[in-house]
Amino acid sequence: MGRKKKKASKPWCWYCNREFDDEKILIQHQKAKHFKCHICHKKLYTGPGLSIHCMQVHKEAIDKVPNSLPNRSNIEIEIYGMEGIPPEDIKEHERQKTGGGKASDSDDDEPAAKKKATSALLGPGPSSVTPGILPTPMGPVPPGMYPGPMAMNPMMPHFMQQRMMMPGMRPLFPAASIAVSTPSKPTFPAYSNATISAPPTTSSAAADAKENGDVKPPAANSCPLVTATGAGSKIIHPPEDVSLEEIRARNIKYRPKPKPDAPSTPVSAPPMITPSTSQAEVAAHMSAAVAAARQQQAAAMRRPMPMGMMGMLGQVRVPVPVSMPVPVLPVMPQFNLMRPLQPGMLLPGGMMPMSAMFPGGVPGLPMMQPRFR
Amino acid sequence: MFSGNNPHKDVEVSSPPDDTVSALEFSPPSVPQTFLAAGSWDCQVRCWEVEASGKTVPKAAQNMTGPILDVAWHDDGSKIFMASTDKSVKCWDLASNTAVQVAAHDGPVQTCHWVKAPNYTCLMTASWDKTLKFWDTRSAVPIMAIHLSERCYCADVDYPMAAVGLADRGVCLYSLEGKPAEVKRVESPLKYQHRCIAIFKDKKTKQPTGFALGSVEGRVAIQYVNPTNPKDNFTFKCHRSAGTTGGYQDIYAVNDIAFHPVHGTLATVGSDGSFSFWDKDARTKLKSFESLEQSLTNCAFNHSGQIFAYAMGYDWSKGHEHYNPAKKNFIYLRPCFEDLKPRST
Repeated sequence: MGRKKKKASKPWCWYCNREFDDEKILIQHQKAKHFKCHICHKKLYTGPGLSIHCMQVHKEAIDKVPNSLPNRSNIEIEIYGMEGIPPEDIKEHERQKTGGGKASDSDDDEPAAKKKATSALLGPGPSSVTPGILPTPMGPVPPGMYPGPMAMNPMMPHFMQQRMMMPGMRPLFPAASIAVSTPSKPTFPAYSNATISAPPTTSSAAADAKENGDVKPPAANSCPLVTATGAGSKIIHPPEDVSLEEIRARNIKYRPKPKPDAPSTPVSAPPMITPSTSQAEVAAHMSAAVAAARQQQAAAMRRPMPMGMMGMLGQVRVPVPVSMPVPVLPVMPQFNLMRPLQPGMLLPGGMMPMSAMFPGGVPGLPMMQPRFR
Repeated sequence: MFSGNNPHKDVEVSSPPDDTVSALEFSPPSVPQTFLAAGSWDCQVRCWEVEASGKTVPKAAQNMTGPILDVAWHDDGSKIFMASTDKSVKCWDLASNTAVQVAAHDGPVQTCHWVKAPNYTCLMTASWDKTLKFWDTRSAVPIMAIHLSERCYCADVDYPMAAVGLADRGVCLYSLEGKPAEVKRVESPLKYQHRCIAIFKDKKTKQPTGFALGSVEGRVAIQYVNPTNPKDNFTFKCHRSAGTTGGYQDIYAVNDIAFHPVHGTLATVGSDGSFSFWDKDARTKLKSFESLEQSLTNCAFNHSGQIFAYAMGYDWSKGHEHYNPAKKNFIYLRPCFEDLKPRST
């Protein structure tokens, strides 16, 4: 591989925290899991590269790295193997692995040293390439920086002549124009001939929904909803692969209010959940709300349920044999003796005289609300 | 009456809910009159009587402490079950116009269905807490609780079959004969999030034999539980705009599916604001209708198959930014018996 391995530390993926024996395998993993285009399955080299590819080729924006942890889904951050991992995340990972036993100095030195080495190596090399020209649609350059129309094909053979990299070398690209969170990350993956010579299938209009059906869409909620089934279509749905009702229910307008007579559980109004809240945060809020609500509910349920308010008159028997985990209540008597029979109420075995049920027909019932607002 | 957007000149239900409709159900055949119940995000369930003339009379309404996600009628037509995001299900006794809690979950209750078996009755509820529960409504403890692999997104019951669509795109089928038991978990025929499910019957035996499943990707799958031929199962595209902005096709969610109780044909309503009628046996579209101004969220047939109801309101398909609380919500009714006649093959 031609790189120094971190001492006593297996390579791990920044996007999903998985560990690997070998950085090469880690890179393969990243390409297959995080940098793979969900539309045409092309494997890119970096997150920004994937983002640019999707934008140019499929006219679709990606906001999260596929299959990534919620706090590691930033598409703009440039990670390749172990390169580009922010120092604090490296520290955090080390801490988590060894419980803080590892000295932090060595960790800091390594990436810094590596960066220096890389830039020195590549200094005289590809500097002939103008910053604006990208070898493949993978550099973190916004589309505006392309010298001409975003035609991929003519540019790639051109690039091939200019820059035949040895595997393992990473060209230096100006990353200054991009809002990358850590500015000192110019490292780029090596470009293999195979990738370059196979132009991406633009306007895979032929790739209708059927074709794309071969790709297993991401598991529920793990990533953004796959929002296009081909180059020319778009699913009208918020990007999160969560039901519309769930998204709507998070809105402050629809959150259940605490019951007025609930016991004084310290349920403060949950913080406003904006649509951009990450899954993990939402899950945390919801489980906190559920736990609080469960308490309230337990209290509410403890109150004796008015027996037979259901008025399940008629031949109701609930057999449900032995495999039930809970005991069955004895069969309810046919009448609810606690509630006085009202004229117009259901008589055993009989049809309900509906006409008498509604407002005007049943005297003495105070709760009728015949009129809507 | 404010007529709003009604390109088909259908009957507009009076005093509609103040927020998007989430559930729509007609009363069962056990009552002579026709009643319509609608649950809404305004936390209320409303009930109207639908007269033969088409006049709709508001009868009563009940509130819960959170938006309603589903409603179900008791088979005798005397009660309406209401499921809410407040994690409970209440039973609304129409005679007394009172409601009591009959079920509870650890999360919002997505569906509630009344099960009427020859030898028992119970309420089936499914929730985002990943459980499916069956309740003798007189007890605070369910008679059965089944763990699901994921949140329930949709469900349907047609005795003796129950089908539950989950967030992980699984579909679980249950037999309700004797007691509820899982029959199998079906791998989804659809590649995208499940949104709605409706069980259909065999034309000859009149027994439930399969289900239609709608997804967010403008597609419906027709799936037989035990297909005689694997090709019996198929999917079809729907609720897609024909090449709009820059040649793109906009694909909308199928928000609800309903089968005509007599003809066995089906209706779908979509996020694009249109509804269509289909014949699954002839594998053909019977009729489609021009889109309304907003999404259609629910649809229902009355028990005789004479009336088709559909609800229009914002379904959140474009996020909270497109929500306009000032926009009115509507429920429309139209006669449909002729339109849904099967195409003779």
